[in-house]
Amino acid sequence: MDRLTYGEEELLSSVAYDEPLIANGVRCHGGFVGGIYRSPRSVGRGPAISAWQAQLGARGVPLIAIPPELVPPHYPSAAQAVLLLREGVREPLVRTLTTIAIIEGFGAMIRDQRVPDLSSCVREPLDGTATAHLTAGLFEAHARDEAGHRSEGGHKQMWEVARDLALGHPPVPPDVLMRLMTGRRGAARRRLFPALAEPLEELLTVMVNVMVIEVFAADTFRWAEVVLGDPEVSAAPGPAAAMVGYIRSDETPHVEYLRTALSELRACTLIGTGGEAVTGTEVIDALLLRTLRALTTDRPRLQREETRADIATAVASRPDAAGLQRRFDALEEEWVPPDVEARLAGAIH
Amino acid sequence: MAAARNPLSRLYRSARILRVAAAVYGSYKLPELLHRALRRPDRRDRAARAAQHQRNAERIFDMAITLQGLLIKMCQVIGTRSDVFPPEYVQVLSQCHDRLPPRPFEQIRAQVERELGGPLTDFFAEFSPQPIAAASLAQVHRATRRDGRPVAVKVQYPDIEDIVRGDVADVTRVCRLYQWVDRNPLDLLPLLTELTTHLALELDFRREADNADRVRELFKDEGYVVVPRIERDLSTRRVLTMEFLEGTKVTDVAGLRAAGLNPAEVMQTLTRIYVRMILAYGFFQADPHPGNLLVRPSGHIILLDFGLAKALPPGFGLGIFELMFSMMTLNEAAMLKAFEVLGFATKTGDAKWLVEVARRMVEVSGKRFEGEFTEDMTEALFAAIRENPIISVPSDFVLVGRAFGLLTGIGHTLGARANVLEAMAPGS
Repeated sequence: MDRLTYGEEELLSSVAYDEPLIANGVRCHGGFVGGIYRSPRSVGRGPAISAWQAQLGARGVPLIAIPPELVPPHYPSAAQAVLLLREGVREPLVRTLTTIAIIEGFGAMIRDQRVPDLSSCVREPLDGTATAHLTAGLFEAHARDEAGHRSEGGHKQMWEVARDLALGHPPVPPDVLMRLMTGRRGAARRRLFPALAEPLEELLTVMVNVMVIEVFAADTFRWAEVVLGDPEVSAAPGPAAAMVGYIRSDETPHVEYLRTALSELRACTLIGTGGEAVTGTEVIDALLLRTLRALTTDRPRLQREETRADIATAVASRPDAAGLQRRFDALEEEWVPPDVEARLAGAIH
Repeated sequence: MAAARNPLSRLYRSARILRVAAAVYGSYKLPELLHRALRRPDRRDRAARAAQHQRNAERIFDMAITLQGLLIKMCQVIGTRSDVFPPEYVQVLSQCHDRLPPRPFEQIRAQVERELGGPLTDFFAEFSPQPIAAASLAQVHRATRRDGRPVAVKVQYPDIEDIVRGDVADVTRVCRLYQWVDRNPLDLLPLLTELTTHLALELDFRREADNADRVRELFKDEGYVVVPRIERDLSTRRVLTMEFLEGTKVTDVAGLRAAGLNPAEVMQTLTRIYVRMILAYGFFQADPHPGNLLVRPSGHIILLDFGLAKALPPGFGLGIFELMFSMMTLNEAAMLKAFEVLGFATKTGDAKWLVEVARRMVEVSGKRFEGEFTEDMTEALFAAIRENPIISVPSDFVLVGRAFGLLTGIGHTLGARANVLEAMAPGS
């Protein structure tokens, strides 16, 4: 059987690159081996995750899987975005790309996520699992991927590079931070399992949220590769789209370690503060359902409304505003929030 | 002692300022000249110099407390400029609190009546003769409008503009003389210009009223910030009447707990407010000292005193964010870029000293910067800058750094952290 225990340095170690990834004057993480991009921190992390997943498979424990049909499509669509850029309406997209970059950077806060002593709140031993390695390298690797580390930029900087390559160093709208901070704030999370220790429920909630967000990001990558890779509107279609592709491949281990750890905990028995037993299935499934409901219904609907309003404002200043708005609307793709419960029934198993 | 429009008092003030300035300058220069004359190396060690700085700082402090006026404000500015002045000056002069003995009520009454154009009783049903606060430029009285609404009335001292004008002239003369006499002078005149510009703004209460309204508007959809409503009909350039609001002082931990509040949550709210103002809105109440911050039993924060409110240039908030982010990731190249965005510059145009500053910040922040501007960090920044005086620090950064530093201090009292990055994280 593959090795199941890894040291932190192993999980943080990267291959020796023939050539580092430097784009637009910015040194990013990762690099090239034989001309092929290799993600950072993949030497130990990749095999470790494979080994933990194989262990689950050997025990007959299923891996959590989010049905792809739940992923809300990016708005505006790629076709709409290309139209706007072609017509010189760039600000909404610059704002979107900059916001994506900043949010990626905040992904580094996962390293500060408090992890309780799991031996006191999980009945089964966790040695040799992904869960046991969360604070032994996995969260730190994730954080460094998102925000960068020392001289190597992470996904935050890589999104900025992609934006700048494609759109020629556009001025960043000065309201980016304002919108980020004054947009919908996370509502105070109601506890679903007050019998559990709060730090445990918080940890599981954060892991579920991050995993879902990372899964849903796949559509954003697809969208960005199309838009920033379009030679009609991008100043550097090849390099810009490639950069997005590198980010996308870097994100794979994030989804995998999170769904592995959550699947492990789902198969465990969790112990409440009063000694009561709660199945991991009950807890993880409930948290997952809540997150998926929020991120597949109200949130994307509100985001679409806000973005539409933004775009309408930007378009309104154009001399051909009415015509451009009509052409934009003609490309609108209908989106109906999915029935999360129905789609999830049986999907996890 | 403040001076009325009295030439003798003015002369006394000028003479005292000049005497203290000469004593301070002389304490540095005379030993230097003596050593040079005797062709002897100056072996005064670090401890001796620190003691000398301490003595001189105390001289200036005593003078400011006695004379008040511009000098109090000048000391407060020096107390924030760790990039220019030795730590002993910063430490002593930052104690120069704006809390002074009140002026006689008759002076205050006369000022209000002059400004509002009638006897007090025309405008107020009650007007407390005892102020609730007295500072270097004005004092605040509780009052009740004729319609029964409680108000706070901030009244500028009648002679303060003359005092400040005279002090500005005296201090400018001293600075010019120093720059002419000294072979290698500190560049003090820009600091003085900055101070006098701010002071002129603080002395116009109409501006403070506009600042308060602006901040209230910024937070109008966010219920956790309260800004007193300005009573414009009873406000002029020298009198500011506003809604009287009560709350617990933000650093009164026992009082907060007695009100059922969690000090850590209060700190979180306060940090969020300042992060929004500085990074998001680009306009902030730049004096978050505990006397200007009250907390309601609901946990809402009352912001007071908008005399020192600052509009930041576009992109500055993003620059601060990028600086903090680069410190979090220990990325020197990104830090350097952030410094440039923020307006740091070297007088020679050579960026290598900024790289050195970036490196020091990275060393101090850690083993990792976690979102809080600690004293160690800002001290490291300013120590590096003092050693390389070719670096010019944008005054906006100094003001923002001071504000975050004050918040960190409040955080220590409340047993919580002023974590800027946490406060701006999406979903916070």
